[in-house]
Amino acid sequence: MFRNYFKTAYRNLFRHKGFTVINIAGLALGLTACLLIGLFVHDELQYDKFLPEGERVYRVYNDISAQEAGSVLAVVPPMFGTTLEESIPEVDKVVRILMLQFDANNLVEVGDKSIYEKGRFFADPEFFEIFQLPFKYGSPEKALDDPSSVVISDAFSERVFGDIDPVGKKVSLDKQPFIVRGVFSTTERFHLPVNFVLPMAAAELPAERMKSWGWQQFYTYVKLKEGADSQSAQAKFRGIVAKQIDEDTNQPYKYLPFLQPLNEVYLYSAGFKFDQSIKGNITYVKALSVIAIFILLIACFNFVNLATAKSLQRAKEVGVRKAIGASRSQLMLQFLSETVLLTLISVIFSAALTSLLLPSLNAFTGKEMDFNVFTNPSLLLLLIGLTLVVGILAGLYPAMVLSGFQPVKVLKSAVVVDSTVGRIQWLRHGLIVVQFALSIFLIISASVVYKQVGYLHNKDLGFNREQIMFFQMRGDNMFTNHETFKSELLKGAGIKDVSMGYGFPGDATAGDGVIVPRNGEQVRHATTLLMVDFNYINTLDIKLVAGRPFSKDFKTDADQAFMINETAVRELGFETPEKALGQTLLWPTWDNQDSLREGKIIGVVKDFHFKSLYDKVDPTVLQIYPGAYVKVAVKMDTENVAGSIAHIQGVWDKFSPDYPMEYIFMDDNFEKMYKAEDKLKSLLTIFTAIAIFVACLGLFGLAAYAAERRKKEIGIRKVLGAETSSIVMLLSKDFLKLVVVAALIAFPVAWYAMQTWLQDFAYRIDIPVWIFLAAGIVAALLAFVTISVQAIKAATSDPVRNLRVD
Amino acid sequence: MSNKELIIETENLQKKYVTDTVETTALAGVSLRIAKGEFVAIMGPSGCGKSTLLNILGLLDNPTSGSLRFSGQEIAGASERQRAKIRKQNLGFVFQSFNLIDELTVEENIGLPLAYLGVSKSETERRVTEAMERMGIAHRRSHFPQQLSGGQQQRVAIARATVSNPSLILADEPTGNLDSVHGREVMALLSELNEQGTTVVMVTHSPSDAEYAHRIVNLFDGQIVTENMNIRKHATELL
Repeated sequence: MFRNYFKTAYRNLFRHKGFTVINIAGLALGLTACLLIGLFVHDELQYDKFLPEGERVYRVYNDISAQEAGSVLAVVPPMFGTTLEESIPEVDKVVRILMLQFDANNLVEVGDKSIYEKGRFFADPEFFEIFQLPFKYGSPEKALDDPSSVVISDAFSERVFGDIDPVGKKVSLDKQPFIVRGVFSTTERFHLPVNFVLPMAAAELPAERMKSWGWQQFYTYVKLKEGADSQSAQAKFRGIVAKQIDEDTNQPYKYLPFLQPLNEVYLYSAGFKFDQSIKGNITYVKALSVIAIFILLIACFNFVNLATAKSLQRAKEVGVRKAIGASRSQLMLQFLSETVLLTLISVIFSAALTSLLLPSLNAFTGKEMDFNVFTNPSLLLLLIGLTLVVGILAGLYPAMVLSGFQPVKVLKSAVVVDSTVGRIQWLRHGLIVVQFALSIFLIISASVVYKQVGYLHNKDLGFNREQIMFFQMRGDNMFTNHETFKSELLKGAGIKDVSMGYGFPGDATAGDGVIVPRNGEQVRHATTLLMVDFNYINTLDIKLVAGRPFSKDFKTDADQAFMINETAVRELGFETPEKALGQTLLWPTWDNQDSLREGKIIGVVKDFHFKSLYDKVDPTVLQIYPGAYVKVAVKMDTENVAGSIAHIQGVWDKFSPDYPMEYIFMDDNFEKMYKAEDKLKSLLTIFTAIAIFVACLGLFGLAAYAAERRKKEIGIRKVLGAETSSIVMLLSKDFLKLVVVAALIAFPVAWYAMQTWLQDFAYRIDIPVWIFLAAGIVAALLAFVTISVQAIKAATSDPVRNLRVD
Repeated sequence: MSNKELIIETENLQKKYVTDTVETTALAGVSLRIAKGEFVAIMGPSGCGKSTLLNILGLLDNPTSGSLRFSGQEIAGASERQRAKIRKQNLGFVFQSFNLIDELTVEENIGLPLAYLGVSKSETERRVTEAMERMGIAHRRSHFPQQLSGGQQQRVAIARATVSNPSLILADEPTGNLDSVHGREVMALLSELNEQGTTVVMVTHSPSDAEYAHRIVNLFDGQIVTENMNIRKHATELL
């Protein structure tokens, strides 16, 4: 019997080549999009899953929104770790990792080889007990016990030592000697960008600071005892934290600590501050999954529509089979086999296409995904499952309609008038509406993402980031003689200005409090501090709204002057920039927390975005503070950039010959902030195109069917003198109405979805109305062109032949 | 006649079609008895209800009211499932427009009823070959319907209708789409089957086709107006 089904199926598919090609192309394309997205999503979900006992590991994060609005910090004070270990019975082990700039370069020297490596971690010795990374050489036991030990990644080892076992070898890190105790492997997906681990002791942090409840500087992970309840551990810990008193304010800390399961760290930490882990974004994962489902739905609807449209052609067959004695279930089985066969062919095509496209997706996403049905039996199983699910999903309704035909109604007459036809028509129109609503939704979403991403890249950030070379200072000589270093740099022909400091746009900034004396009281405000020099404002082209910039002409500017931004004017309570001028600020200096620097506000700068546009501009205080100078920004002429770089290299070599020079350009650095959005934009564009193409493919088939069905009508109209254009309109009108309905459905949904997405950005575009109109018009135009191809064909065919058909 | 075993017995059979506004009566109380081995022709003008009657007799349709017994079993109002079961075991259909499945070859079309009956592959092959030989179309076994002439297609249809050895063949204007030479061939085949014991009920417009039947039932406006014994046919039988 099945042989018979498949034979009929095969011959049917072959006979109606047009329908078959449209169906297979649509389904294969849709499935390919789904498979690619599926692989991507699957990969995103794999982070940290490889770690043994990882389900017992939690990251501790700190919600301090009660203190600073919207602040969820990935870093916590050192006492969190200590307390968790000592006072919470559920906790088995704790590791603290010191927050440094993980993407900063560290000089690594072995023999006469000297290179920069990123990803330096200072961690408690429990690091490898909590993160049980596989070791290639050495062993994790006691690997971090000795302050002179270092454990390195296999990639680090390869680059620095080559293909040997480096355990026991000496390595100098930023001019300090260490001994390699082990090499761990980094092939799996791990959320920490760790490249080499040093014992916390090597950081030489003062013991006193490690007892702080306020110093938010440590990534902290706990491993709970087997079977322990994380909620109860979290509750107990919150109880202890709530009792800690902030010495500055004499109030309890307004902390709300959380235990975040390890398998959520990668995807569910989008808004966390000071988080340097490798991050995914669950919103994008979900959005892509939804798009995959959309595309698959559109492709399945094509099938349902084309199959039901075609059903009348097969009514006779159904009648005959029923008259002969086929039962309805046998017929349903037959039609389902047909769909499954069709789906199987599509799945085979899409598997091939996926293999073909995966390298590009890998290159684009920086992943190493694998799609090999021959080596991965679960993939094969998945494909078989997909075939059955899609085949049955798409085939069920047409099978029900087809097998429901009454033989007596279809056997005799050439024209089938069946009560189900009206219902099918309705359903078919409904499905087209859904398809186009989804397509229009995707067009709008893609357009909004395009606009927002363009805005992120092009918004005036309030400073000039073009032609600015940016690097970290290295070597004692450079730090000690930074003024000479700067003036040497300034001698270059193409060098326009040079600024040193800590707190450049796109780079790390310090968060610290300043005190505003008011009515005899001292009010503390959380602000961002930018430690700058006299050239900062000019180098970055920052605009002033009141007062003046720092100037060497004023002796007091060096240690008794502050500049603030507009946000700080508001937050610190000075009504206008003008009124802020001359006000006093106090700041506990970093060298000595007990000594307060007292100074006047001399100028107010226009708000400028030194962080990404995800974040609101913080209240910001600028001051001259040479003790914190670590970074240099050099503004260059557009002319002869190579010459300027050569000059800087020359000066560098004079001051720090032991260190290779490395630099970035500030604008590049900024572009990188929106990498995730750039990728979302590209993916959205591609998948929107696929969705629309598949939807149009279906429309093309349906239009062909409609033209076929109305051949006689068209013939009669032509004989009566109808123009081609009026016939094209006749055929297009029905479909275009559906597109209009689809647009009306898609508009509010798309508006809501995109508005929600934009909420993530502190700075965002207003969704312009024209995007909606354009999306509707684009969809309608595409639909019209698609239908017109068929309609013109029908309208220009010989009417006599069409009239003879019956 | 009346002492013979009846294959079909109808009692006051009625069929009404209801659309939104109009109620049309297709059959207005038809009582008909057909004995095993009989060849009955149903005649009448277009719209008299003969196709409706044939569809009901062939269990493709249910009557609105009245009684329909097949081999003594009451089946008016039976479910589609029950009717399908009886159909595949007892009935064969021949249509005016042949109604072959275009995607299946001659051989596969003929074998289809056996497939639904669950007959084994070798048995199917044997019976299909036999049926094709009887109809003289064995040389066309792997052809598709469109590659055949009308007469050949109808012979395939008859082969398909008879392959499962049904006790009743229902033919709806079997010669309607054929020229006279092929029409005569088809009628000769139906006669032959009837002589071998199969009951045949045929709807026709053609008086010459009706000549092959034992009995001619004339329908008009959904009612039997006359029932005539075919004298010539009986005469030949008597001879």
